[in-house]
Amino acid sequence: MDKKIEVRDLHISFRTQNGALRAIRGVDFAVEKGETLAIVGESGSGKSVTAKAILGILAGNSIVESGEIIYDGMDLLKLTENEFNELRGNRISMVYQDPLSSLDPIMKIGKQMTEASLVNGKANRKRSKKLFSAKRKVLETAMKAAGIGNGEAEQLGKELTERIGQAGNYRVSYARAKEYLEGAEYSCGQLNVALKKQDAQQIKEQTGFLKDRLKKAANPFLLPKDGSLEKLAEGLPDTLPKLREQIEELLKREEPDFLAYACKEHGGDPEKWRDTIAKALAYNNQVYGAKRQEAAEVIRKNLPLFEKERLDVKACQNAVNAMSKAAEAGIDPLPVTKSAAACTFSTTMRHSMERYAHGIPGNEKELRREKRDTEKYKRDLKRKGDAPKVVPAMLVDLELTRKTMLRAMNDLLAEYSGGQVFTAQELEAEALRLLAWLGEQGDAMANEVSKEYAHDKAIRIMEEVGISEPEKRFEQYPFEFSGGMRQRIVIAIAVAANPDLLICDEPTTALDVTIQSQILELINSLKRKRSLTVIFITHDLGVVANMADRVAVMYAGKLVEYGTVDEVFYEPAHPYTWALLSSMPDLETSGRLEAIPGTPPNLIYPPKGDAFAARNKYALAVDFEKEPPRFALSETHWAATWLLHPKAPKVEMPEIVSERIRRMKKQEEALKNGQK
Amino acid sequence: MDRNNTEVLLKVEHLRQYFGKEDFKAVDDVSFSIYKGEVFGLVGESGCGKTTTGRSIIKLYNCTGGNVWFKGQRICAGTRDYTDAMNRKKAETKEKIAQLKAQGGSEEQIAALKREQSEFLAEQKLKAEQAKDDQKNCDKKYRVRREKELEQEYAAKIAADPGQKKEYEEALHKELKELHRGSLVTQIQMIYQDPVASLDPRMTVREIIAEGLVISGVRDKAYISRKVNEMLEIVGLLPEHANRYPHEFSGGQRQRIGIARALIVNPSLLIADEPVSALDVSIQAQVINLLNDLRDKMGLTILFIAHDLSVVKYFSDRIGVMYFGKMVELADSEELFRHPLHPYTKSLLSAIPVPDPHMEKQRVRIRYNPVLDHDYSKEEPTFCEIAPGHFVRCNGEERKRYLEELANG
Repeated sequence: MDKKIEVRDLHISFRTQNGALRAIRGVDFAVEKGETLAIVGESGSGKSVTAKAILGILAGNSIVESGEIIYDGMDLLKLTENEFNELRGNRISMVYQDPLSSLDPIMKIGKQMTEASLVNGKANRKRSKKLFSAKRKVLETAMKAAGIGNGEAEQLGKELTERIGQAGNYRVSYARAKEYLEGAEYSCGQLNVALKKQDAQQIKEQTGFLKDRLKKAANPFLLPKDGSLEKLAEGLPDTLPKLREQIEELLKREEPDFLAYACKEHGGDPEKWRDTIAKALAYNNQVYGAKRQEAAEVIRKNLPLFEKERLDVKACQNAVNAMSKAAEAGIDPLPVTKSAAACTFSTTMRHSMERYAHGIPGNEKELRREKRDTEKYKRDLKRKGDAPKVVPAMLVDLELTRKTMLRAMNDLLAEYSGGQVFTAQELEAEALRLLAWLGEQGDAMANEVSKEYAHDKAIRIMEEVGISEPEKRFEQYPFEFSGGMRQRIVIAIAVAANPDLLICDEPTTALDVTIQSQILELINSLKRKRSLTVIFITHDLGVVANMADRVAVMYAGKLVEYGTVDEVFYEPAHPYTWALLSSMPDLETSGRLEAIPGTPPNLIYPPKGDAFAARNKYALAVDFEKEPPRFALSETHWAATWLLHPKAPKVEMPEIVSERIRRMKKQEEALKNGQK
Repeated sequence: MDRNNTEVLLKVEHLRQYFGKEDFKAVDDVSFSIYKGEVFGLVGESGCGKTTTGRSIIKLYNCTGGNVWFKGQRICAGTRDYTDAMNRKKAETKEKIAQLKAQGGSEEQIAALKREQSEFLAEQKLKAEQAKDDQKNCDKKYRVRREKELEQEYAAKIAADPGQKKEYEEALHKELKELHRGSLVTQIQMIYQDPVASLDPRMTVREIIAEGLVISGVRDKAYISRKVNEMLEIVGLLPEHANRYPHEFSGGQRQRIGIARALIVNPSLLIADEPVSALDVSIQAQVINLLNDLRDKMGLTILFIAHDLSVVKYFSDRIGVMYFGKMVELADSEELFRHPLHPYTKSLLSAIPVPDPHMEKQRVRIRYNPVLDHDYSKEEPTFCEIAPGHFVRCNGEERKRYLEELANG
């Protein structure tokens, strides 16, 4: 499957007055396309920090100690603000907990909804233009080098640009017309309801809507040219069923191949393009393959430098520079498939090296500071009196940074030592992918967002998220909406730019049950319709059961259990998961609830061993000493607790949880039998 | 619980709370009673008037209509019922007079009508005056009545056992002193939803908790200090926490401080307005357990307002369901969950998320649409008892349907 986003060994700290607060201490997960990952845990366990790191909106005092967040061949942690602006809201969106504070109170809803698409629209076109021409240049150079001469390369590049631009125009106008047609279908439904209710005003309004939308949907590729739909629309409301039927039929039609059409109209041969591009790719593949092997050699040579306990900073810095240069030289700019290890290598190395150098006390002042910190820490320990459980809070974890570098090097080495990127069979596919990518850029270039279109689209999305009377609502202010409606608006804004990753940070915690249920249904249906990948953060396990495909349980900045939703709910293994499950009452619960005693630990002084040990009634002696490794329970399920160690005493999960699971299984069986 | 023998602590009769010139009906004709020692849950979606009901009871608002009785004393009384009746009567009489005049009725008949009207008006006016008086002077009235009751009680005791006259007199004196110290309404206390917003960030925990005592006139510092420490211990905090400020505590601990502040004046009724909604799951369990313990230890009666139905079910003896200012169903919690009758209750119950992936993914939410689900064109609905202790808002036709539903199990 396709990994949409991958978080690897993430460590994040915050600089505070009392030292470094280690908010995230090693989180890794991957979310596949179209899946939902739920992150559960108490407040302060680092769920929101993880989400904010993905979106690049961490607070100013944050330090990314190590780790990578890989999205589309980019390491999100090392992007510049400008680069992030292109992703944020555009491809990665977020729904916040409190709908009131995430909307601007003095700005009309309509403006807030269209703002993003108007601003982004322009930027997107510009960016696509830049990307496209850069790629064209690279392609032409590669073609020339591959021996396609006599101005043929330029000729081909020009032809390609023109056709793709034309196809983009066709496709965008078609897609918009289709959107309007979908809107018209929705209006048909509304009109049908209004007719049933005999609501004269509604009937008039919806008829107007429908006609307007049909007019805007006029497109030679979509609507029949004989004007039969317009005729039907004139005869409303009597012709409604027929009109609706026709619209539905039209919507079911497949999208024509616009590139082929453009080529037919203006000349050009996609087959030939593909072959030529494949040739250029093959040539580049060979050239860069050699460079990659060279780079691998450089890395292999420098590897021992980094395997020492304490690094020689000067030598290592030089090595990093050399390696980065070599690695960058090995990246072929032509193909569109990017390798995460190669693309993030130089940023990761440079960043980590800088941190490492910064972390070593170099001059007297820094030495004094370190001494002072250590003394203060020891004093604190004496006063607080729980000495063995904590480790000193230093500003940079040298060992961790070194390991990050080592891992990046090993990853790249494994990839580069093979030499060439593509095999002969893959080249063809890659050429197709490149053409498709160019087509996408062509679409984006043609996608000019006017105010009118932004308005219409906002109305359409408001309809989609279930806001009635969108035209009226468009002109209102946030305070005129109820809590549930506000949250719908926030979701509408989040999905307006067609993101492929949606992060929901406790979207329903502030809402009551019925509204919560509606919002969850909405998110689920949007997910299906737009094949969104969702990261869902919550502390309500009932909500998790509804939404998630996979569940990650988080405590004190670490994942403690990870698995599919069934595994985590039916076979929970970590005592913290048990505690979460047993502390919430359900409809059958009687008797005392098992609350988790105490509060999560202060992460300025992260506890030694298992962070949950102090609150855990099943804690073993080893929990206070040594951090538990991850014990795999199945291919997709693991938990980090010493209880799963073969030598650990057998411990049963609490009565309240095991009984609930038994009951759930029984209910399910009863349900199955009932169905039979 | 056997309710025939237990005392009704709080009785709400046709409570109405309107806001603004246009009479926005936040609470419209809500009636229920709370028995001593029970937990009464009030549920409904946000904006349905749960919190307003609680606040009207504690006299944060002047209620528009209806009465609230607490410990046998009317503490809230609205005058709208009487003014409405007066306006109706006036219009009626006017119409009747016009009719009589058209039919050529005698002067005497008209005079009789007018006399009847003025009698009725005077009666209603008197009632309204009484209501206003009760609303204003309920403390005084309660004290006077209670004083008399106490004196009689002790007189009877002394008569039965003259040997211990001195002890009895001392006890009486003590009780009277206690009675004069607090007011009646302070025996109802409230816990608020947001533990951050409901505590003054510039007061220490000691000041926050002691404020209730200080306002009621206690000046004895040693007594206050002892009492504060006692309260802190009851809610599971340590006495040394008293000198800290609220921001030094976690959410659950802050909510405990809020509870301690409510408990220090020794209330008999606690209104808990969504006390756990803003808290984490694990902290939620701690606070619920604490409230449960307090209820057993101190014999508290609790009005529990919340929207999380699984918590309400776990915690309450009886549950009232509100929808848009109206009470639509009221029953024992077991009964309500087993046989929900009103379509709104059904929709509410169907929206509860269950921590079970398979069941949860099959759960179908029942939609409630007041326009489609009820047909009130022929007969207006009333709040009536369908089974013992089970009230539903329905009209005659629905009543029949609900009864059938109950009979079929």
